[in-house]
Amino acid sequence: MKLKSILASKTFFNKRAIFHTLIWILVLWIGIIFQKKEVEARLYIDIASPSMRKISIAIPDFKYLGKKNEHPGLISKFPGIISNDFDLSGYFRTLDKDSFIEGPGSGITRDAIHFKDWSVIGATLLLKGGYECIGEQLKVEARLFDVFSGRQLYGKRALGLVEQSRYLMHRLGNDIIFTLTGHPGPFLTKMAFVGTSTGHKEIYISDYDGHNLKQTTSYNTITLSPRWSPSGDRMIYTSFRDSGTVLFMHDMIKGSVTKISDRKGLNIAATWKPNGKELALTLTIGGNPDIYLIDITGKILKKLTRNWGIDVSPTFSPDGKKMAFVSNRSGSPQVYVLDLINNKVERLTFEGNYNTSPVWSKLDRIAFAGSSDGHFDIYTISPDGKDLHRVTKEQGNNEDPCWSPDGRYIAFSSNRTGNHHIFIANANGENQRQVTFFKGDQLSPSWTQHSK
Amino acid sequence: MKRNLIIATLVVFACSFIFLLSSCAKKQVITEEKEIKAPPKEVAKVEKEKPPVEKEKEAEIERAERVRLERLKELEFAKKREAEAIEAWKERRAIKFEAESIYFDFDKSFIRTEYRPDLKKKAGYLKDNPNINIRVEGNCDERGTSEYNLALGERRANSAKEFLLSLGISPDRIDTISYGEERPLASGHDEGSWAQNRRDDFVIIKK
Repeated sequence: MKLKSILASKTFFNKRAIFHTLIWILVLWIGIIFQKKEVEARLYIDIASPSMRKISIAIPDFKYLGKKNEHPGLISKFPGIISNDFDLSGYFRTLDKDSFIEGPGSGITRDAIHFKDWSVIGATLLLKGGYECIGEQLKVEARLFDVFSGRQLYGKRALGLVEQSRYLMHRLGNDIIFTLTGHPGPFLTKMAFVGTSTGHKEIYISDYDGHNLKQTTSYNTITLSPRWSPSGDRMIYTSFRDSGTVLFMHDMIKGSVTKISDRKGLNIAATWKPNGKELALTLTIGGNPDIYLIDITGKILKKLTRNWGIDVSPTFSPDGKKMAFVSNRSGSPQVYVLDLINNKVERLTFEGNYNTSPVWSKLDRIAFAGSSDGHFDIYTISPDGKDLHRVTKEQGNNEDPCWSPDGRYIAFSSNRTGNHHIFIANANGENQRQVTFFKGDQLSPSWTQHSK
Repeated sequence: MKRNLIIATLVVFACSFIFLLSSCAKKQVITEEKEIKAPPKEVAKVEKEKPPVEKEKEAEIERAERVRLERLKELEFAKKREAEAIEAWKERRAIKFEAESIYFDFDKSFIRTEYRPDLKKKAGYLKDNPNINIRVEGNCDERGTSEYNLALGERRANSAKEFLLSLGISPDRIDTISYGEERPLASGHDEGSWAQNRRDDFVIIKK
C-alpha cells in the first residue's frame, strides 16, 4: 500500500508541478488583472476558454466547530451548495466524495490537514469549511488551500441565519472566484423565466442555480418575456391578463404591478435601456410592428424603426448607443444593428434562414438563436458581424438566450431532455448544465443584470 | 233458460238477416240499423252519402272549407318549417363561419389563393348579418420566438381583415388579436401539426 501510494504520488508529481505552475500563473494574472481591470478582465476568460483546463478541487464535508452539534444536515449541505456553484462556474472539476481518503481526525486549518491525502487523489485545490450555530444564528467559514504547497489561498467567515445558509455559501463562493480570477462569481444572481407547470404561462423567479423557486404572477393566462431592470428592483413582462398583449411593470420590492403600455394592437418584446430609464418595445399602432422608445411611465419618446417588415426583440449595447433587433425586412427573420447616433441599420446575421432573439452582453458580444437545419441553436457573434461562434449543437432545440450580468455565462432554454428547461453554459458554450428541473416547460430566461 | 235460448237464436237470426239485407238493399238497412243500435261506421257513412240535393251541396261546401283549412295549415306548417330550416342553415353557416379557419405558409402572412373564396363567403355572411361583429385571431406554429410570432400572428389577422375590408366590410366590425404561438391547435412537433397551427380563426361577436 505504502509503495503504491508513493508510486502514485511520484506519477502525480509531474502533473502536480504543472498544476502548481498553472496556479501561480493564475495568481500572477490576477495581479495583472487588478492593475488593468477593464482590458485584462475580458482577456483572461477569452484566452483561457478554448483550451482552459479545469482545476480539480476537493470539497469534503464541513466540520461542526461548536460544542453542541446543531443542524447536522449542514455538514454535507454546505459542500453540496458550493460544489454545485463551482461546477456551474466552469472553472473547476469537483472531485467525487467517494475518492476521499482523509481520516476523521483532520481539521480545517493548515496544521490539521494532511495534504498528501489530497494530492494522492489528484486534487489541486482543497476547500475546507466549518460552521457553528447558536440557535438560528450561523457562523460559517471556508478556507481554500493549494494542495501542493499547503498554502492557504483564501479564508473567510460569514455570519447570518441558518435559513440563509444557501445565500451565505454562495457569497463565500463568489469571494473565492474573485480571489482566483479577479471577477466576482455569478452565484448570487437570480433568474426569471416563463413556467408552464400550472397549465398557464406564468413568471417565476429562482436563484441562478434553479433553487429557491418563487411564482411571481398568477394571472391564469399567457404571460411572456420577463426582463429584469438593470438594478434588479423591477421587472417588465407582457401579459394577456386583460385580453390582448399589455406591457406591465412589476415592482419586485413593493410587489405592485402597473400597466406601462396597453396601446391597440401589440405591446410586446420590451427591453431595458442600460440606464434603466427607458424601454424599447414593439408596437403596432402604426399598423405595422415597429420598435419604439418609451419612458418607464409608457410615454412614447421616439419611433426607432420604420420599415414595412416585422421589427421585434430589441436589445441595447452596454453603452446604449446601438440596438440590435430582429427584422424580416429581407424576407426571413434576421438580426440587424441600428446605430442610434446616425440611424444607420446594418444586417448582422447572414447564415441560416431564421435568426432571432438577440441579446447583447456586457462583454460586447451578441447571442442569438438561429435555425439552419430545422433545429434552433444558440450562437454568439461580435457586433461587427465577425467571429460567429456556435454554442449548442445536436442537442434538441435551444432558444431564448440571455447573458449573466458579467457576460461570462449564457443561459437558454433547451428541450434536449424532453421538456424545455433552463441551461447555463460558459460564454463559449462549454460546461452546459441544466439548472431547472420543474414540471412543464421553463422558457425565456432573464438573468439579473446586477452582481451583488 | 228457454227464454234465453229463444232470444239468442232470434239475435243470431236477426244478425244474419241484416247481413243479407245490407248486401242486397240499402234502403231497408236504415230501419234495421236503428233497431240493432250498432251501426258499423261504413254503414253510417253510406247513410250520409245519400242526402237530398241541398244537403249534398252543403256537404260539398263543408268539405271544400275543410280542405282549404287543411291546406292553409299545411302552408303555415311549411312556412314554419322553412323558417326553421333557414334558421338552422344560418346557424350552420355561422358555425361554418367560425369553424372554417384559413391557413398560412411558414413565416408568411399573405392569404393563400385557395382561401380567397372562403373569405368571400365570410364577407357575404357579414353582409347578410349586419348585426354581428367578428374577431380575427392570428396564430403561428411553435418555431421561432414567441415575440416574433406574436408580430407574425398580428400580421396574419390583419391580412384577413384587409381582405374583408377590400370586399366592403366596415373596419369597425372586425377586431384582430394575435396569440402568436401560444394557442396551438395541434400539439405535435412536425409539419402536419405546424400546418394546422399557422391559421386565422374567426369568432362571431354579437353586437
